[in-house]
Amino acid sequence: VRDREVLLEEKDIEEPLFELEMVLLENDVALPVTDEIIARMRKDLVGRHKKIGTSVDELVASTLRSALCGVLGDGLDLLDYVRENERPVRILFTGVNGTGKTTTVAKVGHYLQKNGFSVVIGAGDTFRAGAIEQIRTHADRLGIKVIQHQAGADPSAVLFDTVQYARAHNIDVVLADTAGRFHNRANLMNQLEKIRRVMKPDLVVYVDEAVAGNDAVIRADEFNRAVGTDAVVLTKADMDPKGGAAISIAHTVGKPILFLGTGQGYDDILPFSPRVVVDELLGDEA
Amino acid sequence: MLDNLGASLKDAVKKLAGKTVIDRAAVDELVRDLQRALLQADVNVKLVMQLSQAIKQRALDEEPPKGMGAREHVLRIVYQELVRLMGTPGAVTLGPQTILMAGLQGSGKTTTTAKLARFFQRKGLRVGVICADTFRPGAYDQLKTLCDRISVPCFGDPKEPDALKIVREGLPRFRKLYEVIIIDTQGRHALEEHLIEEIININEISHADHRWLVIDAALGQQASEQARRFHEAIGIDGVLVTKMDGTARGGGALSAVAETQSGIVFIGSGETIEDLERFNPDGFISRLLGMGDLKALVERAEEAV
Ligand SMILES: Nc1nc2c(ncn2[C@@H]2O[C@H](COP(=O)(O)OP(=O)(O)OP(=O)(O)O)[C@@H](O)[C@H]2O)c(=O)[nH]1
Ligand SMILES: Nc1nc2c(ncn2[C@@H]2O[C@H](COP(=O)(O)OP(=O)(O)OP(=O)(O)O)[C@@H](O)[C@H]2O)c(=O)[nH]1
Ligand SMILES: [Mg+2]
Ligand SMILES: [Mg+2]
Repeated sequence: VRDREVLLEEKDIEEPLFELEMVLLENDVALPVTDEIIARMRKDLVGRHKKIGTSVDELVASTLRSALCGVLGDGLDLLDYVRENERPVRILFTGVNGTGKTTTVAKVGHYLQKNGFSVVIGAGDTFRAGAIEQIRTHADRLGIKVIQHQAGADPSAVLFDTVQYARAHNIDVVLADTAGRFHNRANLMNQLEKIRRVMKPDLVVYVDEAVAGNDAVIRADEFNRAVGTDAVVLTKADMDPKGGAAISIAHTVGKPILFLGTGQGYDDILPFSPRVVVDELLGDEA
Repeated sequence: MLDNLGASLKDAVKKLAGKTVIDRAAVDELVRDLQRALLQADVNVKLVMQLSQAIKQRALDEEPPKGMGAREHVLRIVYQELVRLMGTPGAVTLGPQTILMAGLQGSGKTTTTAKLARFFQRKGLRVGVICADTFRPGAYDQLKTLCDRISVPCFGDPKEPDALKIVREGLPRFRKLYEVIIIDTQGRHALEEHLIEEIININEISHADHRWLVIDAALGQQASEQARRFHEAIGIDGVLVTKMDGTARGGGALSAVAETQSGIVFIGSGETIEDLERFNPDGFISRLLGMGDLKALVERAEEAV
């Protein structure tokens, strides 16, 4: 058997690995993450046996494909999660400014309702101008109850009340919106930590966007350290279907991806499947 | 000074220190580290490759000025090439004008609209703002709340679904009363043809003097493609980079500058109305490379010659 195989050497894979490295970088897989993936592949591939007549490129590409699927994990089925946990299931949405938290809260509310669960939303962004009106309008359109206080109120108090409301009315799921904040603002991160202590979420869902570049890694890491992350939603995948940010974030926090956001409509939300992301990312290249 | 340099770039720079002859291996290493810094700052991959080629070539081909060490010679070239990449800072005129805001969803258009209103107001101009975002829930409330804080009038109607109609009604009315008019628009991206069409129409009927593209500092490689499409649609003549108070380095803005052949006008550095700064190329370069003041270093070297 041995004489029909060759041993892969460093020089055989250099070129295809370089090309894949470029594919990853051009699609926003952050540099340190790209480095790690490529280094691991180099280690896996060198010294491997390859059948004569098969292409090195193909072998490299299929190795990358499975490596990426491994990084992304299998996702998390929210409906199963809600079924299996004690009600009300409390979900807290976090993330930096403008990534799509509020819109995602509305979409997830709609998704849960369509699947037979009752939902209440907590208007936990009491800071940004127009934030309460924004979530209120979404919820009114979807027929979802919102618990809100005045602008400037303590978000922990709003979300505490939301959980109380859900308990009193046998609501299945609490969706807690929060103000966007940067991970390098200690006081704002402390406020988020207080929210977490007060409402005791079952799931902390970190929301970031598919078009984010290298910063995706830094902020995902900081949010995870400060308040923990149980699952991830990646929005605006319609802007960039290749969005390597999924890889960056999954690699950084090692938590499952719940949904991809694919537009501004309430149905523009896709339960996550690693294959879909990897296929988009690698396209014909693999 | 060197203590502020980004860690690996600093090591590479050190290897060049004290040398009088340009050493190919040391230049290669510096360029490699520069590439990594720029890639991590989200500068377009192709731009990074072009830039590093150019730097390498110049570093090896050009004769350093007499008395300038190898390190200073290379750093000077790096600085010059980065300045070129940066484009010319976008001009701001302090007179009557209409500004059309454009950009991706959530990039910071509405917040920046209010910040700009504040900027021109402080310069003593009469400013009015038009809310042409008829799509996003709460868009009018958001802009109106921000404008109320600085007593700037805001034209709009949350019940009107047609953005063009709002611009058609609001603009002639506001032009009689105010010198600077800023039009906020809904977020959109390159693949949303009907929305690109909408902003083409808004641009046509408003005859805007400026069409500024708002870019989130964290935007990655998509910046090029998105900017290209906006430029093709309405002719972008300035870039505004938002959220520079986070940890993102804003390299996507350079892709936008390259695609639109324009320059960066303002930097957004916080959530309040006051958090707006004029663009400063040297500060931006330091941020991109994660290192201290390259310009000062280069100037000192030039003085020493
Ligand atoms: N194209 C696209 N736009 C989206 C998606 N998700 C959200 N958006 C838009 O992005 C913009 C910002 O969304 P928000 O939901 O307000 O974001 P946020 O994270 O709540 O923002 P802050 O509360 O200000 O931090 C809005 O215009 C949304 O309509 C998506 O999946 N695709
Ligand atoms: N920290 C910080 N936050 C900013 C900055 N500029 C905007 N934001 C925040 O980013 C989020 C989105 O800003 P908006 O002004 O609503 O963005 P937009 O482009 O108008 O969004 P759409 O109209 O939905 O497309 C809000 O939470 C803003 O407060 C900035 O320079 N720094
Ligand atoms: Mg929000
Ligand atoms: Mg807006």
